[in-house]
Amino acid sequence: MMTHTPETDTLKIRDLSKTYGKFRALDTVSLGVDQGEFLTLLGPSGSGKTTLLMSIAGFIQPDHGQITLGGRDITHMPPEKRSFGMVFQGYALFPHLTVNDNVMFPLKMRGEKGAQAARRVAEALELVGLSDKGIRYPRELSGGQQQRVALARAIVFQPHMLLLDEPLSALDTQLRGQLQSELKRLHRAVGLTFIYVTHDQSEALSMSDRIAVMREGRLEQVGRPDDLYDRPANRFVAEFMGVENFLPPELSGGQHTLALRAHALELAAGRGRVAAHVTERDYYGAEIRYTAHTESGVPLRFKIAAGQGESLPQEGDAIGLDWQDKDALPLADH
Amino acid sequence: MSSFARDNASLPVRGSAWTIICLMILPMSVVFAVSVTDRPYLSLPENGVSLQYYRNLFTSPEWLLSIWQSFVIACVSTMVAGALGTLGSIGCWRISSGASNVLRLVMLVPLMLPPIVYGLGAYQVWADLGWINTYTGIIVAHAMTGIPYVVITVSTALAGLDPKLEQAARSLGAGMGATIWYVIFPNIMPGILSGLVFAFIHSWDELVIALFIAGRNVFTLPRRMWDGINENLDPTMAAVASVLILVTLGLLVFELLGRGRKR
Ligand SMILES: Nc1ncnc2c1ncn2[C@@H]1O[C@H](COP(=O)(O)OP(=O)(O)OP(=O)(O)O)[C@@H](O)[C@H]1O
Ligand SMILES: [Mg+2]
Repeated sequence: MMTHTPETDTLKIRDLSKTYGKFRALDTVSLGVDQGEFLTLLGPSGSGKTTLLMSIAGFIQPDHGQITLGGRDITHMPPEKRSFGMVFQGYALFPHLTVNDNVMFPLKMRGEKGAQAARRVAEALELVGLSDKGIRYPRELSGGQQQRVALARAIVFQPHMLLLDEPLSALDTQLRGQLQSELKRLHRAVGLTFIYVTHDQSEALSMSDRIAVMREGRLEQVGRPDDLYDRPANRFVAEFMGVENFLPPELSGGQHTLALRAHALELAAGRGRVAAHVTERDYYGAEIRYTAHTESGVPLRFKIAAGQGESLPQEGDAIGLDWQDKDALPLADH
Repeated sequence: MSSFARDNASLPVRGSAWTIICLMILPMSVVFAVSVTDRPYLSLPENGVSLQYYRNLFTSPEWLLSIWQSFVIACVSTMVAGALGTLGSIGCWRISSGASNVLRLVMLVPLMLPPIVYGLGAYQVWADLGWINTYTGIIVAHAMTGIPYVVITVSTALAGLDPKLEQAARSLGAGMGATIWYVIFPNIMPGILSGLVFAFIHSWDELVIALFIAGRNVFTLPRRMWDGINENLDPTMAAVASVLILVTLGLLVFELLGRGRKR
């Protein structure tokens, strides 16, 4: 029903910058978003994700740069003319309107009314599984239901794309997982472009077609989830992807810093490739997590599956650690 | 035993509470009592109640004219204060920066200034504009001094409003005007209504500014009462005062009901 967006609806962002006083909230950001893609903006708090999303939505005027949609310059177009659906963290449902009227709002603003509009509202509510809640007020719904109404309202008018700013972060873990898969299903069902903001790495990995990692207003790396996970471009991205260990060149014996996940490090039978002594040992049932430090003070984290006999190292023990070259990622910077 | 002690201890507290309530209500009730006096001067009724001064009031062309003039002035100045105060508050809420806080404070100045200062200033300026003793003059003065009441109640209502509602509305295709009309107004309506009630009451019983800029052509109700008190002690004054009090109380009850329904 809602697959009208033509092929030409690619979004292009060129050299976008925004400063507040001397502070650079966005620093020459360039990014292309393909039609129908699920793109996630991932980054720590204050990295400029919301600023970028709000620039795309038209609520923030960039100082420099350009945004085009299907070749048309929309950098200075007011938000109400852009036809981008938005979903906010706090839902932002209109408290004085029923669920039906909330979802009807964008149609009403476009002069659509009557049976046709009512049918589209019903279809959108059905898509999010809330057909029976139309005459309720937002305050009578749970957080998850309110978020679904916000989704229905944002897609009912067949927007060019959907912008979502941490839409699930107010929900508890279980509901979050449920809504994550619902969002993915919805994305497939409507074929809309989604631009999704989160600072949750696992959420980004599981939902996105591509991820753009942001840091201090800049894009650090853009790529498919497996690209970022297996081949992080630098230490920041690697840390964000959950890599625990970074071996400087003097320890790794190579040209570059090596990024190593905890499961790639194993206890050596003899001296191993790196010598260290155990500083911390935490029992987790299925596995035991260790922290060791090298002579020069570099921390190394590794795990040993429980039930491997009695020869497990204790705190203070001197050990050697090994790894396979195929598991080590050389990083371009330091 | 302990409850007895507590009752004893609360006696002075209760006593002073009742004293304060009496001091607040007594003058008003005396006015009602005096307004039905059967004697020809301001006094409590002696041999029975009489409605002669109400009859007097509602048949006297001067008093009726003053009631009408006060009513028209209050209505128009309330509309002006309501429109300016509401839009000003919404503007400050949208910008929400240091500058907008200063602006909001500026809008409250007429409330902090003694009315006599404002009246004196208005007299000087209005004289140059030729507004003394005209509807325009008194309506503008009452509207300006009524704005703070609207700003306070509307700003309070706006403080409870999620700023993302505006962004949501605009992303859904509503321009600025439609956003204010369809989203912001309905959500702050109780605040706007309260502001209108207070602005109306403010104009309806405003005397000090009226002393400066009202005159023969525009003779508001409080102004005529003032002159009446100074010239003769006609009990019609008490009837007028009763009407003033009843209208004000009526508006306050309306305001409370409006608030109660919203909760
Ligand atoms: N109006 C503003 N004035 C000044 N600084 C601002 C303004 N808006 C944002 N910033 C700054 O810009 C930076 C980026 O903000 P932004 O909201 O885009 O971060 P974010 O990545 O969305 O973070 P979070 O995950 O906490 O939401 C922050 O350091 C913030 O303090
Ligand atoms: Mg943010």
